[in-house]
Amino acid sequence: MGWLDGQEQARRQRFAYDGPRRRFTLCRAALRAILCEELHCQNEQLAFRASRFGKPYALVQDQPASVSFNVSHSGNHGLVACAPTGRLGVDIEERDPRRDLSLLIDTVLGPEEKTALALTQGQARTHLFFKLWTLKEAVLKALGEGFVLDATCIRIPAATVGGRESGMLQLPRLPEVTWQIEDLGNQEFAAAVAIELSGVSARKD
Amino acid sequence: MASTEDRIRQLVADNLEVDGKPLSSSLDLSVSLTEAGVSSMDVVAFTKVVAQEFKLEFSREQCPTINNLQELIEFLDSQAA
Repeated sequence: MGWLDGQEQARRQRFAYDGPRRRFTLCRAALRAILCEELHCQNEQLAFRASRFGKPYALVQDQPASVSFNVSHSGNHGLVACAPTGRLGVDIEERDPRRDLSLLIDTVLGPEEKTALALTQGQARTHLFFKLWTLKEAVLKALGEGFVLDATCIRIPAATVGGRESGMLQLPRLPEVTWQIEDLGNQEFAAAVAIELSGVSARKD
Repeated sequence: MASTEDRIRQLVADNLEVDGKPLSSSLDLSVSLTEAGVSSMDVVAFTKVVAQEFKLEFSREQCPTINNLQELIEFLDSQAA
């Protein structure tokens, strides 16, 4: 806990329950350790601010740091990613077989993704939905605008929907930017990373 | 008829959980659901439940302006006015 600064301590106190508070603390401490190593700075020199949509960025000695990072946690798992350039987003979700997907499918999936999901059932259906969710949320977090963007407009490449772990995509409103997405999930959790690429053409799947 | 706050508290108790336990209906309304430990997936699903209960749709422009349950209640009351 001593790793966190005053703002982080205050945010830590606002968590209503011990579990989420503990996960926030552990992930923020891990993030600080990683960024201090990447940026060659001391923990006391590192601070965080957030964009108006809540996406955090790092400061070193009050100057914006040239690093892109993102954090996600779910249950007992946390995911931290960082890169020297490019917008970056990650998401991790513990698989919950009890979850009612019916409320989420129309909000998140496009027509082709819904068709692919309809061809699955049982655990495979849940796994595919979680995969698509984490891939899309990773892109949304990389954009840093939350769910302001319609998630159904993020079209996961058919090959990635079909099982390939990685892929590239472009968004209709940002056709000049290519995003690389990668599925990092396993049996316990779904997880994904999305990173902005420069000067790369999206592959047609 | 139950107040908007009572209806939201009931929807919270019926639909949201943290670490496998139902979220308390006595939750501080000024705390964001994220800070209460609710996953983003549950937040999106809860938004749909609220929309169904109050028979309205949230626009993508409205969602970022609602940061906690108190602001949600104020928004719902403003729509009903």
